Amino acid sequence: MKESLLDILRCPLDKHELELEDAEYGDDGEEVVGGDLVCTECGERYPVDDGIPNLLPPDMREETPA
Amino acid sequence: MDLSDRRDVETEVYQPAEDSQLLAETACERIGRTAADSSGGDGDADADPPLVLEVGTGSGYVAHRVDAETDARVIASDLNPHAVRQAREEGLETVRADLVSPFADGAFDAVLFNPPYLPTDPENEWDDWMERALSGGEDGRAVIDPFLANVGRVIAPDGVVYLLVSSLTGVDEVVERAGEEGFSAAAIADESFPFETLTVLELFD
Repeated sequence: MKESLLDILRCPLDKHELELEDAEYGDDGEEVVGGDLVCTECGERYPVDDGIPNLLPPDMREETPA
Repeated sequence: MDLSDRRDVETEVYQPAEDSQLLAETACERIGRTAADSSGGDGDADADPPLVLEVGTGSGYVAHRVDAETDARVIASDLNPHAVRQAREEGLETVRADLVSPFADGAFDAVLFNPPYLPTDPENEWDDWMERALSGGEDGRAVIDPFLANVGRVIAPDGVVYLLVSSLTGVDEVVERAGEEGFSAAAIADESFPFETLTVLELFD
């Protein structure tokens, strides 16, 4: 993900802004490929998996149909 | 992508079909025109490009066409981890999300959605990613209704929604439901097939 995506991403639970923590960058030094997006209000952490932010609410995150 | 990867994708991610094509063509035409209008010829070239969200992007086909054929910045989202991986491989900006829940208020000039819309007998639900991509529950609107209830929050003041609806789901019922959520609706494209007619609705405040 591009860091500029943070401008339009919010915590799915309370719609507060997110901060990027423990960021890992790709070879170009710009693409965020790992890390956590952390809600500035409730502190919930959302992982960046292989460059894709997983903004599912925590109760849906583990849900995987057969 | 080797053969087994391809087989996984084909069974776990909805691949583009007639509905995807109709939504892509209609959205490109509308968004392209808006972009041309707003750049106006009088040197308004510094204006930000329109920001477009596709919900439930699946393979990324619709988002990719809008990205390639207009000057919009396109964000593609899906619930399905296989879908977001495929969309990202297409070079799209991708977010794993439940409908519009993790997006900022008023962020988007347009939101596109080709929802799961097939009415499905609960006895025959098959509970895998392809079912999630196709089934709209008993009335076909199990995903459309919560989408309509929430999408208004994330569109800009002049923003629009392009929603694909099938006659199998009931266009009138969807228009009525959209009205209850404060939207006006116009049918801007349709195409008939032997078992259904597909319609693209434009929803606006």
